Parts: sequence; structure tokens; C-alpha cells
Amino acid sequence: MSEAFRPAHYGTNAARIIRDEPTMRTAVTEATRSKDERRQAAWAEIDADAWRDWARDLKTHVLTHLADYLEEAEDRLIENGVHVHWAETAEDACRTVTRIADGRGVRRVVKAKSMLTEEVGLNAHLEAGGLEVRETDLGEFIIQLLDEPPSHIVGPSLHRSLDDCRRLFHERFGTPPDATPETLAATARRVLRDDFLRADMGVSGANFLAADTGTLALIENEGNIRISTSVPPVHVALVGIEKLVPTFEDLSGMIQLTARSATGQPIGNYTSLIQGPRRPGERDGPEEVHVVLVDNGRSRLLADDHAWETLRCVRCGSCLNICPVYRQTGGHAYGWAYSGPIGAILAPGLLGLEESMPLPYASSLCGACAEVCPVRIPIPELLVYWRERAAEEGLAPRTETAAMKAWATLAEHPGAFGAAAEAIRVLPRGKAGRALPVLRGWVEERAAPEPSGERFLDTWNRREDR
Amino acid sequence: MNSPSADPTPAPHPVTTHSPIRVALFATCLADRFFADACADSVRVLERFGVEVDVPEGQTCCGQPAYNTGHREEAARMARQTARTFADADYVVLPSGSCAGMIRSFYPGLLDTPGAEDPGARTPAAVARSRASPLSARAYELAEFLVRVLEVLTPAPDGTHVPLGTGLAGRRIAYHHGCHALRELGVRDEPLALLRACGAEVVAWDGDIECCGFGGLFSTKFPAVSAGMADRKLDALSPGVDAVASADGGCLLQLAGRARHRSAGAQPPFVHLATLLREGIGA
Amino acid sequence: MSPRNRILGHVRAATATRPEAPHPGRFDGTYATDDDRTPVERFSDLFTTSGGEIERFEDVEAAARWLARYADDYDGVTVGATVPTALRPALPSTCPDLAPLGVTLAAAAIAETGSLVLDARDGRRTQLLAPTHVVFVKARDIHSTLVDALSDLRGDLPSAIGLHSGPSKSADIGQILVRGVHGPGRIVAAILGEHPDELRGGRHG
Repeated sequence: MSEAFRPAHYGTNAARIIRDEPTMRTAVTEATRSKDERRQAAWAEIDADAWRDWARDLKTHVLTHLADYLEEAEDRLIENGVHVHWAETAEDACRTVTRIADGRGVRRVVKAKSMLTEEVGLNAHLEAGGLEVRETDLGEFIIQLLDEPPSHIVGPSLHRSLDDCRRLFHERFGTPPDATPETLAATARRVLRDDFLRADMGVSGANFLAADTGTLALIENEGNIRISTSVPPVHVALVGIEKLVPTFEDLSGMIQLTARSATGQPIGNYTSLIQGPRRPGERDGPEEVHVVLVDNGRSRLLADDHAWETLRCVRCGSCLNICPVYRQTGGHAYGWAYSGPIGAILAPGLLGLEESMPLPYASSLCGACAEVCPVRIPIPELLVYWRERAAEEGLAPRTETAAMKAWATLAEHPGAFGAAAEAIRVLPRGKAGRALPVLRGWVEERAAPEPSGERFLDTWNRREDR
Repeated sequence: MNSPSADPTPAPHPVTTHSPIRVALFATCLADRFFADACADSVRVLERFGVEVDVPEGQTCCGQPAYNTGHREEAARMARQTARTFADADYVVLPSGSCAGMIRSFYPGLLDTPGAEDPGARTPAAVARSRASPLSARAYELAEFLVRVLEVLTPAPDGTHVPLGTGLAGRRIAYHHGCHALRELGVRDEPLALLRACGAEVVAWDGDIECCGFGGLFSTKFPAVSAGMADRKLDALSPGVDAVASADGGCLLQLAGRARHRSAGAQPPFVHLATLLREGIGA
Repeated sequence: MSPRNRILGHVRAATATRPEAPHPGRFDGTYATDDDRTPVERFSDLFTTSGGEIERFEDVEAAARWLARYADDYDGVTVGATVPTALRPALPSTCPDLAPLGVTLAAAAIAETGSLVLDARDGRRTQLLAPTHVVFVKARDIHSTLVDALSDLRGDLPSAIGLHSGPSKSADIGQILVRGVHGPGRIVAAILGEHPDELRGGRHG
């Protein structure tokens, strides 16, 4: 991953992808449309408004009492024989995993898909320490082989076509160039089966952590999470502190709503409910289970009276699937682990506002995302909130800030405003138009707008005067 | 007040039985400058339905571009100016879904201190009036106003509506739903029903409710992405539409500008809803 | 101060002045239309829609006869620890990572989601690694809803529970659905009723 992979380069990365990778937009559009259609069908079966209200209220309650629930969860986890670690930063989370690995002489790690591990950069950290890390989710496996970042929260390789996969597998594993999807899948199964069986440690995330039983809930369709968390002798789960739910029973609503939203299924094909390491009398299961509770900016986000609503997110990807801006480029343009609408409002919280610019502006504020968020995060409002913060902190472009002040002053003086509006009629077109920053962005891609011969207000007032 | 001359053919729809309603028109800065005809057409349509239309002086900009880019104080200044301008209007009608959405959704938050609506309000009665009937409670997009307030559409037994006119008979129209009208105001069926009641066929358009990519300054901050979003809409237009319509001037500039950039050849006209309705009812 | 206490301190400070937000109560998953299918029917419909297979038997003897014929196609089997003797196929016992067939007993099932509830005590590898998986479940252990199932399970939780709702599947290769990556590509839910009426019943009717 290159230096160019940062939010700051969204504009140039987006333009480059659109220009140089036309198949990206097609693949992303097809994939996200079909995911959104599945969500729609799954929501149509339920009383979606009631489910969403419940989920919003549940997460709001948990976040309001988060410290109590974290302590309760920790007590239960420890009672269950789980080792609990707390990591304030991404760096701390990575070092914790390394420490656990060193303590057990771990050399080979299998990874279950976890956006949090992408967020903290765990793979690179472990590999730099000499560990072999294998992604086991098929989509993550594919992008690991291609050394690419994920382009979607739920389907990390959705920008890659069948032909791309055929080429990749032919190069790496010698499958025929026209192999069927079933052959490719069988190859992946065979390769990864070896990795599962030889691994010293499995690393996962968690969708939810139930405080009253210390249960980790993980949702998937392939089975690689069940296997990664069952076969290797050590299991380490990285869990964002916002993933808490109060009770074991609360998992039912959250698991079902997340599955219906993410993949249109009543439930993920495999749901793991993990309490801890293998118990006496059980034939198998990990000897050691570790949970690393990760902050990495979440407590700071929680303290923000507006932005804390972002922490309700269940990482279903529904907002990505409906976003017309995201569809143009897929996730790579956003320059960090989380893309699309949720990426744009998480970034200022987890990365800091300056590092996340200009993602809060990478939206036309169409509002489609808020209509599909299962936990009713007011994403467009939060995008505007972060833009306000940017303006207050001097991060907005200076010309824009100055222009807005001037515009407001004009607007308070209707005569002057009218004169300025009249001046627009004689605005330079063509080459001269490109000189004005705002106009340049427009005329690069569109014919310049034609003003009406006379302003309506002038016409009206002229007639009034007769 | 001088009104533009009325079409001599009477409209088939009876004049509303409401007693004459007075409406203030908020032209909006973009429509005033780029769709002056549509503003005039809005007046004619309203007058045809028996409404008296004022166009108060002092109207400038609703403040949405400032609000959407996070310049809240500037937006509040423009909101105050707008609220002052329209303080006495019973109804404010806008030929713009996005500006109407701005007023309805965001003016309450911007003007939430007592008297903020009308900084000149000194007496308890004036303060009470500005609080009791804030501008956000009196502002409507044009199609919304016609259908929900004036109730110009009368259901017919076959599920359609009694015709308002025949001016759009035989016309195949693709309608772009601006995001703010659609999602902030909940306006979706109203413009289509009005067009059909004038004889138009509203053609199916895959992606008709998707964002055109304008988004105000978004269109110039990320031109490639914005243009891509317009391309998606334009690529899905069926050939042989007679017009592409919208209630939002910004969306029309975006789609028309992109269409012309892509091809110097013939384009369907990109027309404001108000203009089509005027033609439709023969005003 | 430890990272734990610093994090908890930040969290407490962050939420100190938040308005109260009560727990919304137990999740009551309401649906758009009424469903008068029995739990067995609902479970079976969802399980087959998901790509799973359903077999139904009046009693253990009938199930055992079916299993004997089914096992003819395999040369080895891995069997869960809690599977009754009558339902163990007469095949060489193979370790789970090599066995072509796995036979297990579900602790319960869930009609609402079409899920089998698999308990770690039966053996996780046996439940996960063989390409074909036969799971026996008693009709009377089929819960109506997920929340009911969880409520029932909480009293006696093993190290892990797996809710298996169909064959392993993925659409990560060009958005085309494939099976058997990495869990079993075939899964059969063999429902045991002790009485014909049991097949219509269910734990919560």
C-alpha cells in the first residue's frame, strides 16, 4: 500500500480510479446494487421501522452506560477463563497481539475477517515481526494475494471480477485460466485448510460482545471464522469498545438486523457465540482465548455530543451499498479502512479531523444513507457537523471561507446581491472561466451554465414600476 | 400588480374553491439567475389556481450553500435575512426543492433562539408570532404546495386524476427527483401526478431517485465523481424522451451541463417543472 | 494508571452528562405478515432456501435405517460426542480433518432463522471440517425464535455455540455464489420426532 493511500488524496485517487479503472465503477455498482436489493427484500419481510428503533435505542443505551458494561463484560470474560487486555491506540493493540504471540511461540497466524484489524494495521505489524499471516475469508484472501486494501466493509474484493480471480489463481496456484468459480473455491479451501490446521493462533474481530455472559458474537457465511476460532490453540479477538450489548438475549435482535442489512439473510450462515477456551470434557477448542478491548479514538468520539451517534454502527455496509458517491470509485479512493458514508464520519473521530480531510466533504448530502442505516445514524447531519468543525478549526479552504463571508454580506444587502447576480451574466466562459477556482471544477466536466437574459426579480420589479 | 397575460383558453379544472390565498414567492438565487422563466411560470401557475402572488423585496439566498459547507454562522445570517423578508407571508412557495428543504429542515436549528426569526421583534406579540409560525412552517416547494395545500388534483374513478389541462398531451417526460425534495420534504408522487394530469407520460427511468451529483459545491470540489454520477443518470435515459424535468435548478444545470459536455449533438431539453406545468395547464 | 483505567476514565467522563437512555426491553421481532407455519415447517423452509437439506423421521429407528444407507457412499466418518449410539454409522472413525462425513447432534434449532444450534461439547472440528455434515435434531427442540433459544441456552453455556443455518457459502468470487468454502458444502438437518404429532409441534408450539 502506497503513500497515496490516505484520506487526503481522496480527490486525486477518485479521479484516477474513474479515469484509469473503468471496470471498478461497473463492478462496484453491480455488486452494491444487488446487495441493496437483498437488504430491501429482507427488510420488507420484517417491521423494519420497529427493529431499527429498537436497535438504535439499544445501542444508545449501551453507549450511555458504556463504562459499566465494559466492566461487567470484563468480569464475565475473566470468569470464563478469557485473558482481557485493554489497548488505547492502534499501536497498543498491535503490540498486545505480538506479546501474546511471543508468549506462545506463535509463528503462523490465520485471520478471520476483521475491519478493526485493518484499522489498526495488524497484519503489517505481525509480518514485520516475522510472523506468517494468512487471511482466511475468501475476499480477504484474494486482496491479500493482490496486496490491495479492502474496497468494501462486507465484501472486500467486490471490485474484482471472476476473470481477475481466474488470472490470480492461475498465477499463484496453477488452476486452469478458465477455471469455474467452484474450482477456484475448492482451491482456496484446500490451500487454507492447510493453514487452519497448521496455525498457532487465530485472530478475529467481533460483531458484538454481550456483557452479562461475556459472549463474543461473530457473523459470517463461509465458516472460516468458526474454524479460525476453534482449531488453532490460541484465539485472539480484537473488539472495539463500542461493540458491547447488555445481555445475551440482546444479541438476537442485533444479529438478525445486521444480517438482514448486510447480506439480506435472516441470519449469517454461521454465527459463533464464544464464551471462552475449551472446557473440561470438550474435545477441542482453543486452550487460550484473549480479548483485546480497543479504544483507538472511540472514547474521544463518545465524548462528542453530536458525533457519538456514529458509534452505533454495526458495520453492515448498507450505507456503502446505496451511496452514489461510493459507487463511482469503491473503497480505495477513501484512503483508509472504512469507506463510504460511515468511513467519512468515523474518520474524524478515529483519525482526527485534520488527517481525515476531505472525507467529510466527499458527499453530495443526498441523504440515501440515512434512509438505510439499521441503527438510524444521521449520517448527512454528521457530515455537515464535521464540515462545521473544519470551518471552525481553519481546515476549510481559505478561499471558500472568505467567499462564504462575502456571500452572506451580499445576501444581507439585496441591492448589492442583485448587482452581483447581474455581474454573473457577463461571467467569462472558456479559458477565462477555468481561471476561477470554483468555475474550473465545473467546466472541466460540464458545459458552463447559461444565465437567463434577465433575472426574474429584475423583470418582476420592472413590471411593478410601470 | 401586473400579471403576465393569461392564456385565453380557460383551464378545464375549476378554480379552487378556497377563498383567495396570498402566497409569497421566493425565487431563490439560482432560479432567479438561471431559470428566470421558471420563476415567472411558477407565478402564472399559482395565479391560474386563484392564488395572489407577492414577490417581496429583500429576498436573496436561503443560505444552503453556506450551511452545507459547514459555514453555519453565514448560513444563519442568510436565514435571518430570509425570515425577515417573508415574516408577513402566510405561505412561501419556492420553485426549488432544495431551498424549501433547507428552510423546513434546518431553519429551526439555525434560528432557535427567541426572536431570532425576526430580530426586529420587540413586543411579546411579535416574538410570539415569529415563534408560533416560523418560516419553516410556512414554506413549500411548488408541486408540494399545489397538491397538498391548494389540493388542485381531484381523484378520478380510474385511479388517475381529473385533468388539469392537455398542454403536455403526448409528451414523454423523464422526471429527476431532487434529493432534498424527495428525502427532506417527502415529495415524490406530487410532481408526477401533476405532469400526468396535464397529459404527460412520465417514462420509467432507472435511477430516477438517485443523486445527480450536483450537491452544491460538491460538484466543483470533486468534479470527476460528480460527473460520473451525472453520467450514470444520463446513460439510463431511454432514447426518445421529449424532456428531462426537475423541480431543482441545480440538478438541471448539472444534468444539462454534463449532457452537453458529452455530446455536441441533440439533447432532450432539460426543463424546470414549473415551465412544464404552465404549458400543461395552458396558463 | 493502567490502560484499562485510562480507557474507562475517558469513557466515564465522555458519558457523565449524557441524558438517560433506557434499555428498550426484550427484542420482539415483529414481521410484516403473519406466519401460521409450525416451527418445524418454518425451520425447514428457511434451511432449504439457504441450500441445506431436510430429512424427517418419526423415530430414531427410522433415522438409523436412513443413515445406514446414506453412509454407504462414504469410507469414513467423524461423529460428535453427544450423538446416541443408534445414530452412529457403521463406518471407520476418521479424524475430523480427514473425514468425508461428519455426523453430529444439535442441542436445539431455531425456526425464526432456520438455524441449528451446535454445542462445542459435541466437538467443533466434527461440526466444521468434513465436506458433508449430517445433523440430527429433535423436533421438540426447535425453538420458535432466536431470542427464545438464547434465553434457554444461557443456563448452560459451553465454550462456544455455533448457529449453522445452511451450507458454507461465499459470493466473493465475482459475486457468484459458491459452496463449501470453508465449512461443509452439504449439510443435512435430520429432524427426529418421537410421534407423528411431534413433527408438527415444537418447543414453543
